[in-house]
Amino acid sequence: MAEQMNDKIAQMENYIMKKCLWQFHSRTWDRKRQNENILGMTKRILLGQPVDKDTPEDRCYWVDAVTMAEAFRERCPWLADMTKDEIAALMDGLYERIDFLTVTGSLNQELNDQHY
Amino acid sequence: MPYHEFQCSKCIPERKQHAVIKGKGETLTDALPLGYLNTIPGSISERGCAYCGAKHVIGTPMKDVIHLSHGPIGCTYDTWQTKRYISDNDNFQIKYTFATDMKEKHIVFGAEKQLKQSIMEAFKACPHIKRMSIYQTCASALIGDDIEAVAQEVMDEMPDVDIFVCNSPGFGGPSQSGGHHKINIAWLNQKVGTVEPEIKSDYVINYVGEYNIQGDQEVMIDFFNRMGVQVLATFTGNGRYDDLRAMHRAHLNVLECARSAEYICNELRKRYGTPRLDIDGFGFEPMAVSLKKIGLFFGIEDRAQAIIDEETARWQPELDWYKARLLGKKVCLWPGGSKLWHWAHVIHEEMGVDVVSVYTKFGHQGDMEKGISRCEEGALAFDDPNELEGLEAMETLKPDIIFTGKRPGEVAKKIRVPYLNAHAYHNGPWKGWEGWVRFARDVYNAIYSPIHKLALLDISKDEIPTDKGFETQRMLSDADLSDEIKNSTTLREYTGKYNCLKDLRKKTYAPFERRELADAV
Repeated sequence: MAEQMNDKIAQMENYIMKKCLWQFHSRTWDRKRQNENILGMTKRILLGQPVDKDTPEDRCYWVDAVTMAEAFRERCPWLADMTKDEIAALMDGLYERIDFLTVTGSLNQELNDQHY
Repeated sequence: MPYHEFQCSKCIPERKQHAVIKGKGETLTDALPLGYLNTIPGSISERGCAYCGAKHVIGTPMKDVIHLSHGPIGCTYDTWQTKRYISDNDNFQIKYTFATDMKEKHIVFGAEKQLKQSIMEAFKACPHIKRMSIYQTCASALIGDDIEAVAQEVMDEMPDVDIFVCNSPGFGGPSQSGGHHKINIAWLNQKVGTVEPEIKSDYVINYVGEYNIQGDQEVMIDFFNRMGVQVLATFTGNGRYDDLRAMHRAHLNVLECARSAEYICNELRKRYGTPRLDIDGFGFEPMAVSLKKIGLFFGIEDRAQAIIDEETARWQPELDWYKARLLGKKVCLWPGGSKLWHWAHVIHEEMGVDVVSVYTKFGHQGDMEKGISRCEEGALAFDDPNELEGLEAMETLKPDIIFTGKRPGEVAKKIRVPYLNAHAYHNGPWKGWEGWVRFARDVYNAIYSPIHKLALLDISKDEIPTDKGFETQRMLSDADLSDEIKNSTTLREYTGKYNCLKDLRKKTYAPFERRELADAV
């Protein structure tokens, strides 16, 4: 079961790392903010929940989130067979994984520079 | 991902941490090349200096500006016209370069008088130009000339001119990237917010990190105009000085080259609350996704979709013609910075080539993270290369072509490896759908040029075949193709014009709309 979940996360991770740029902002705090907002919104979109996009900043996160949700639905047909709880757990796992690859496990020495 | 040690660099052991090979199942957390560090003594770097990064990458593409270097003539002359950042005002910024021509006497006695005289002379020589950028160099930084004070004095005397001062001497960073940072922040601090623009549309963006190499910016502006999106300023290709002073009024910063211009976007986000949207303008799919995202932001994604459908239908058969002939060709993708990640995945997917190596001359570790993520397993990734490492990589990997700058490109030619100029292009523009086909055509022309086969023959020792006539590109490229592809009635070679910008510059657009939209940002 866990292996299956990891497999699914790997497919989504592959899409993000190959096709997206939002996860590679230049500082730790910036990456954390991007990951939390964009992946958080993607999760809500996939769960059919409303997304707050009233400010320009939120709208910008939403643009990446909605694009990604659309790509996941197209590339990961198994999403359609998952329950909402399963999707939520999957997205939590994906968030943890992307945070690890881009922040907590990253070898990028510039991430904690105080300035941009 | 194991680190890779070049044989030629064994005598510089620190170089080992600047190269990795992407292994199966390994991630960025296993190994990442070091980057954005001072070049290791003994390694003959291909990098430019921080002055060059500020002036020649970012400052000089501004088109209605006298670009004046305060330093020895060599600083400006040796880097003049190295990039083809054209403009629609008869390329003023490429045609002319200005310097104060500092000499030893100025080092001893100061060069502020000389600077003021040069500024006056330049404005007098170009009376139609009222804007100037002055670039500090190592020499003027070391003697401590107060460039800002001189510029202010001139502006007080000539109220119709405006001057920007960029203090980014050559030694001000490990590479040109240090200069990118400095000029971004200097422009923001000195100039942004000093002009109020005319807002004509409900959808207003800055297009940032785009330098109009052979017309790339003009291709993109066409798409934005067709969507009804007003581009307030382009930072900085084909950009106007005063438009760039008004960057604070855009609703969205659309960022192309994050390596050279993320700083200004980040600061605009902090100071003015303008969000930053990173896009990819190269390749069919990335281009489509990028336009769609901008459309989504403003609630006009249908306009983006109309462009995507039209352009894809027009150009897909031509891209596919080249893809069939480029399939499996090995590429070393060796640009300066951002193109390693803009191109790594999309040339593989859309042109069929295999990227066997990526490098970056001045990129940071963040660029390597993006580039390594996007290239396939087995690729050799290295930072701040030297000429010997480049040669060793080419001898080992045996690429069919490399995409790089003209210095390493000429080295590649010597060992009979064709190259395309990744910085200044061959027959650009390469952005947009048509541009991407033009890029594919350039790749095809380079790989299948009969000259490479002929050049491999050494007339002093090889037998020269006299029973064969001259081989054409098509004979070489179609030798192993199936009849289905060879005789396809749908696929075709590039059918665009030699100069695809000519018509673009004459094009007219419907006026922008200004209406109250409940969901407009």
